[in-house]
Amino acid sequence: MKKSKLKTKLLASITCLSFGLTGLANAGAHSEDVYGPFPVTLKGYSGDCTNTVSYSGQIARHVQHDSLKHLSTKGDYSEMNSYYSGSDKNKQIWAPASKDGFPIKQTLLNDISSGKNLSGKTYKGTITSWPNNMTGPEVIDFWMSKAESNPKDVSVGLNYQQLLSKFIMGAVFYNQAVDNYLDEKMEADTKPNDKPYKDGACYTGKEHSWDEAFGYWGAAAHSLLLSAEQNYNVAKKKDLASADFNGDGVVDLKSEYVFAHAYYASSFDKGGKTTYLEDITRAFLDGRKLITSANGEKLSDMSRARLMAYVDDISSNWEKVIAESVFKYAGSTYKSLVALEDVSNADLAKEFDKYMKYWGELKGFSMALQVGKNNIGETGAKLNRMVGFGPMLLDETQIVGIDVNGNYVMDKVYSMNDAKLHMLKIQKLMIDQFGVEARGNDMLSDMADLASKIGTSESAEND
Amino acid sequence: MEFFFDIFQNTIDQFTNPKKRVFILYLFLSILIAVAWLIFHKKKSLKESIKFIFNPKVFFSKSATSDYKVFFINQIIMLLISPHLLTQITIATALYFFFFEINFIEMGLFASSPKYLIVSLFTLTHFIVDDFSKYIVHRWMHNWPFLWALHKVHHSATNLTPMTVFRTHPLEGLVFTLRSAFAQGVTISTFVYLFGGGVDLYTILGANLFVFFFNVFGSNLRHSHIGIRYWKWLEYVLISPAQHHLHHSIAKEHYNKNYGAALAIWDWIFGSLHHSEDTDNLTLGLGTKDDQKKHTLKELYQTPFIESFKFLKRYFIKVFLFKKINKNKSEIYYKKSPQ
Ligand SMILES: [Zn+2]
Repeated sequence: MKKSKLKTKLLASITCLSFGLTGLANAGAHSEDVYGPFPVTLKGYSGDCTNTVSYSGQIARHVQHDSLKHLSTKGDYSEMNSYYSGSDKNKQIWAPASKDGFPIKQTLLNDISSGKNLSGKTYKGTITSWPNNMTGPEVIDFWMSKAESNPKDVSVGLNYQQLLSKFIMGAVFYNQAVDNYLDEKMEADTKPNDKPYKDGACYTGKEHSWDEAFGYWGAAAHSLLLSAEQNYNVAKKKDLASADFNGDGVVDLKSEYVFAHAYYASSFDKGGKTTYLEDITRAFLDGRKLITSANGEKLSDMSRARLMAYVDDISSNWEKVIAESVFKYAGSTYKSLVALEDVSNADLAKEFDKYMKYWGELKGFSMALQVGKNNIGETGAKLNRMVGFGPMLLDETQIVGIDVNGNYVMDKVYSMNDAKLHMLKIQKLMIDQFGVEARGNDMLSDMADLASKIGTSESAEND
Repeated sequence: MEFFFDIFQNTIDQFTNPKKRVFILYLFLSILIAVAWLIFHKKKSLKESIKFIFNPKVFFSKSATSDYKVFFINQIIMLLISPHLLTQITIATALYFFFFEINFIEMGLFASSPKYLIVSLFTLTHFIVDDFSKYIVHRWMHNWPFLWALHKVHHSATNLTPMTVFRTHPLEGLVFTLRSAFAQGVTISTFVYLFGGGVDLYTILGANLFVFFFNVFGSNLRHSHIGIRYWKWLEYVLISPAQHHLHHSIAKEHYNKNYGAALAIWDWIFGSLHHSEDTDNLTLGLGTKDDQKKHTLKELYQTPFIESFKFLKRYFIKVFLFKKINKNKSEIYYKKSPQ
């Protein structure tokens, strides 16, 4: 931990220094720490491809997700769905879009990759964190159709934008990476390294599987050269200098932008207690170098074992990033519940809106946490029970189910006091089960601080 | 390798951390107090006093050298088991959730009290609760046979030195750790629940203010050969070193007296207080014929373990049999009762 922090600092200062010297980011200077380009290793390849790194399909899906999120407040089902299920037309990129001082290279989806969709890559298993045994795509579709008439439904407390966004990040990006590309496709006989990923490709099975997983992670190719703060500001479209690695004056979404969970990782890491973004991105980079070093041969058992150690590192840290998000939004939901207790009538609507947003993020992330490689079992059951299907409304009712017509069933199951307690217990659950360390909005930190101030209770002493 | 480094670090920490009893400054101040006592009360010269304090017969006695061994061995044992023990945070969180659940008293009821008041109250309460729990547990140590089997390790010391505080059986250390965790957990959760985020601790060099003063005023002399006595009135409130020496005495009239750590009021309230006497000719230890044979590692580690387990087994059998008898009785009763 300390070592890697030191490494970050060192790296950051070297980066700053070189930025200061050259004035511009320089593609050659730090290629060691940049994800790509990687040379062709495939035996017998005779085409003119020179760089085997390719994950534009994943970037297209990030952009589809961001655009869907942008559109979800507008309430047009077919528009939303054209980003979720894909479209024949060359659709506009609604987000991330250029803004003053942060020009983005691509404006249309096909500028990145065509023919991609999110629906085909959404986790197909039963979603137990939502009523009626829907599959992943069914949940998304249900929400999009609900969002059409009422994107923010105050009567039940649901903010569909947050639900859609946070769940898609889990059910597509996280699931595809850790449960498919880094799982099945890393097995010895699947997508082997001595054959092309598909006929005619210049990259091997393992090279491309690994790159696809990296694409879903969402870091920029040069994220390791930036501090957590800089990565964060790239995702916020506030730091062109950090984003524009090749110095062409525009931000290339295909390699220079920070998406999804990589962005959330940076938001935690900039607090200084964690290094998720660096650890995960570094593991991806080292893993890719390992595959490249096999030089187009099948991976030896020893190499594959080393590769699987990187996979474990990536999967467990990625899971922690999502658990940190659950932790943080359980805290903000708790704060909202307290604020709602004695809010003035004038501020009620505003405060309730915040509450819906926080709960939506909490729910979305908690659902995402359950679609990784591992079944989190009892932890998931506890989490679902405490988060609920909808936030507790001021009359202490909440969504308890969905009837045959697709209408929400409301009922009173526990008190407002219990609802608050649940948020605290969720935070404890994230600490106990996932060992979260950044702990944004920690509602129990007062006690931990006091305990550490008093000192250890360990004492083999007879006073 | 890292493990050895941890042992080394923990050992050093005992002497360099102001939260610890044998922090070097506290030891030094204890020496000063001892010198003052010997010069002004015992009318010795400075040279005589120094010679008396650093008496090699005490510090290189069989008893003292076994203290040092136990100190090192326990460092290792505690390092191995402490990560698996219940922590004060776990207890505090569970209690906090419990208060929340019963919702009997409103959360943050006193949160608007002035900050200095909250912090003073917390600092004092933590000290008092901690000290009281030490008294209770120490009493149990003497009154429950399976605990006394363990606590005997501490009382088998035939010379007292500041290092005798570490002469503790690891299982007893476990009990003490739980006691501390529980005392802290109760205080922390109650205060945070009632007073909210403003709760804090007044500290000097990082140690609780009161604990700091307890240590500055010669806590290390409780286990020493310097029998400092307080005024009688003060010995109702604070335990003097000599009072604690009596606790280690083999004389019948000193049995089960002065259990207190810092405060004497618990002994006073619960009738176990004994005022100090001149302790120059006190015999310390267990009072058995072979007290000098109790300083081997086998006697300090293995024997107490076996003995304690034997008592515990006997106790469980008793409870188990007793229940069986009761069950039989009730069966008989039902058979006899009219249908
Ligand atoms: Zn005792």
